Amino acid sequence: MSFRQASVLPGFGLTFGFTTFFLSTMVLLPLAAMVLAAGSMHWSDFVHVVFSARALDSYRLSFGASFLAASINLVFGFIIAWTLVRYEFPGRKLIDALIDMPFALPTAVSGIALTTVFAQSGWIGRYLEPLGIKVAYTWLGVTLALTLISMPFAVRALQPALLEVQRDLEDAAETLGAGRFYVFRRIILPTVLPALLTGFSLSFARAVGEYGSVIFIAGNLPMKTEITPLLIVIHLEQFDYQGAAALGLVMLVMSFTVLFAINLLQAWGRRRHLQAASS
Amino acid sequence: MSIILDQVTKHYGGVPVVNDVSLDIGDGEFFVLLGPSGSGKSTLLRAIAGLSGVDHGRIALHGRDVTHLTARKRGVGLVFQNYALFRHMTVADNIEFALRVRHVRGKLRRQRRKELLRLVALEGMDERLPAQLSGGQQQRVAVARALAHKPEVLLLDEPFGALDAKIRDELRRTIREVQRELGITTVLVTHDQEEAFAMADRIGIMNLGRLLEVGAPHDLYSRPATRFVATFLGAANLILARRTADGIQVCGTTIAAADRTPAANEHEVVAVVRPEEVELAPARAALTTNYLAGGVVEEVVFTGALERLRVRLDAAAHTPLLAHDGSDDNASELLQVTRTQHEQRGFAVTPGQNVAVGVRRVHVLPTPLSSFTACAASAQLAEALGREPLLVELAARMKTRITTRSEPKMGVAEALCESADFVGTTVIASQTDCAHRSEWLLRRGARDLLVLPAGATAPQRVLIHWMGEAARNATLAMSASVLRHVPAEAVYVGIFPGQAGGRGPHGMRELLDARSEAQAAHGLEMRTEMRFGEVAEELARRLAEAPGQMLIVGVTELTRFAERFRALLDGGHWPVLIVYRGAP
Repeated sequence: MSFRQASVLPGFGLTFGFTTFFLSTMVLLPLAAMVLAAGSMHWSDFVHVVFSARALDSYRLSFGASFLAASINLVFGFIIAWTLVRYEFPGRKLIDALIDMPFALPTAVSGIALTTVFAQSGWIGRYLEPLGIKVAYTWLGVTLALTLISMPFAVRALQPALLEVQRDLEDAAETLGAGRFYVFRRIILPTVLPALLTGFSLSFARAVGEYGSVIFIAGNLPMKTEITPLLIVIHLEQFDYQGAAALGLVMLVMSFTVLFAINLLQAWGRRRHLQAASS
Repeated sequence: MSIILDQVTKHYGGVPVVNDVSLDIGDGEFFVLLGPSGSGKSTLLRAIAGLSGVDHGRIALHGRDVTHLTARKRGVGLVFQNYALFRHMTVADNIEFALRVRHVRGKLRRQRRKELLRLVALEGMDERLPAQLSGGQQQRVAVARALAHKPEVLLLDEPFGALDAKIRDELRRTIREVQRELGITTVLVTHDQEEAFAMADRIGIMNLGRLLEVGAPHDLYSRPATRFVATFLGAANLILARRTADGIQVCGTTIAAADRTPAANEHEVVAVVRPEEVELAPARAALTTNYLAGGVVEEVVFTGALERLRVRLDAAAHTPLLAHDGSDDNASELLQVTRTQHEQRGFAVTPGQNVAVGVRRVHVLPTPLSSFTACAASAQLAEALGREPLLVELAARMKTRITTRSEPKMGVAEALCESADFVGTTVIASQTDCAHRSEWLLRRGARDLLVLPAGATAPQRVLIHWMGEAARNATLAMSASVLRHVPAEAVYVGIFPGQAGGRGPHGMRELLDARSEAQAAHGLEMRTEMRFGEVAEELARRLAEAPGQMLIVGVTELTRFAERFRALLDGGHWPVLIVYRGAP
């Protein structure tokens, strides 16, 4: 194997060196500091903070709502990406640009906007109230906010993959006698599966890390609508840096586990593909 | 009949992409749809496959009307230019796809798959992925996949387009063998005439959404009916000639026409001379064929088996050479010649050499539209008329020329015109006393007269009508010729005196007769419409209803012409082509 490949960018040595340096200073070093801070705690204190009822509830909300948001985005992100890729309609470019809005907006603004709309007296909230559905200040609101801010990731991950699904493939399947659902299940889905997994993991990662938009709509009732990042902030405000680091460590481990699992799934899919090929 | 298309029409954004195509394809026939890109051939194929609907007309496969059936219920096999293999599936899964959809049992599926892989010579490739195969192999898989469910019809959409020459040859042979072995009716779409010749039992040539001509490769090549087919299938020199009682007169030489009986009266025609039918000799006396003209060799290109030359004919010969293939404008002044090794040994030529040019065979196109003559009161006006966009466009599409002619006394009663000899189609500008001028020209010998409003563009609909049965055939021939060159729909307007209902059944019969004659004798597909009232007024009313319409009207009688046609011609915003065939 040779690293000396012709390329526009300077040689491998320089680029690899920069990559390592960049990752170390920007990612690994701060993380290590956090682990160290948590490590300096006494074991029983650590357990006390990490496994307190309040913390456990926050994990459940944070990861549960993120998982739900990512799943919702998988379905609706797919539909949006499909619409944008497949159809020509007036305003398509505009909608395409609107997708990125949650990226550009300060997350707090999104949170405030959502709260305004979904509060009991809000535009939509007032019609949901009689039906017994409360969005703001419940887990529903949290999920909604997470869905909103993580949606661009799902759409943007899927768009290029859907462009790859040529219409010819569907036409071919149709002339061979396949119905629409069959075509979707056997042709489209397998082709975009890697992109779907990527979209899911990106959405999930974004949602888990979200803070700004959630705190407004969540209401932050301990044990009920309190997400882990908020709990960390609360610890920080009490100058309990170690407690915050401990919770951060838990989030780090859990997020890493989930993302790693998704990566494994993708690798497994690729390998299965290649095995089928080489046998 | 295996595939029957009846007046199939498909529009995109108001423009007909497939325009009134009717076609019968027999059982087990290998039919090739040939045409340049954008001619509508692929759209027609997709319509047969059921992947795109039609706006008008019917499609039947094996006696079953499938016009409104979806692709999955039509039972056709389709092969795409880019293979369209399912890349996440193995070759085996790809081929078995249609069988899985139909819940065929595993054992039968495997059996069928082995059979198909043998057929396309890909045994043992079952477990490969498409990405691990070469382009040619992928297309073989696509063919096998399309045949898995034993379709009644196999459709191939430019299947060799993405392959290099050697692989293409091999695959062509394989497909032809498979087709013969299975006896399956096959339609191949291509823009490559060599491919069409190599594979087809019959070829259908499309241009601008119309199916221009259908026939065996050899017949189409040697006896094309249209300019487009003559120049699209191989190279051709188009020459303006005159048909006389003795034969075909080209450049002062009369050649006995082999293929058609002489017409009653002398007129201009378009002759096709294939480059290989031209003979070169050092002097006129040395020619073994009909002398055409003297010329100078401009270019000699050696291409292996053949030698390609371009010869500039003597200006004195005044050869009305039109075009070879429309590829470049300069070429129209040069006669294209190809010679075999044998001929080259007999008489070697170099650029700059003077030669005598002879022709072995001349084919005359049956089109009545030979050339245009822009006619106006002064030379400047005639020049300006010759630059009208519609006229320029028509001439370019027909690969013909526009000459000018000034008639200072046009419309003056009793005045004789400069020359009574009108050549081709005469064109005049639409203006206030147009009907009067038209009558004047028609009375002095113009037979086909195009009245052109300023700034007119190519029509989207051509209305056809004739007054008097004597003009019927000429009007239909003219309409067919015009409609081959513009992507418009043809509508025959039948007009009957009196109120609606009066002559219903009889009128209907006339419309149907007109339609079937247009189809049978001129290959022209047209719709029909019935109206009641005075002819010229009704036509003017119909033309005013929508923009982008043109009228082709056959006339046999000039009595009170100007008066009768005033509403139609004077200052109208529509082009009118008058076909006058008076009693001699």
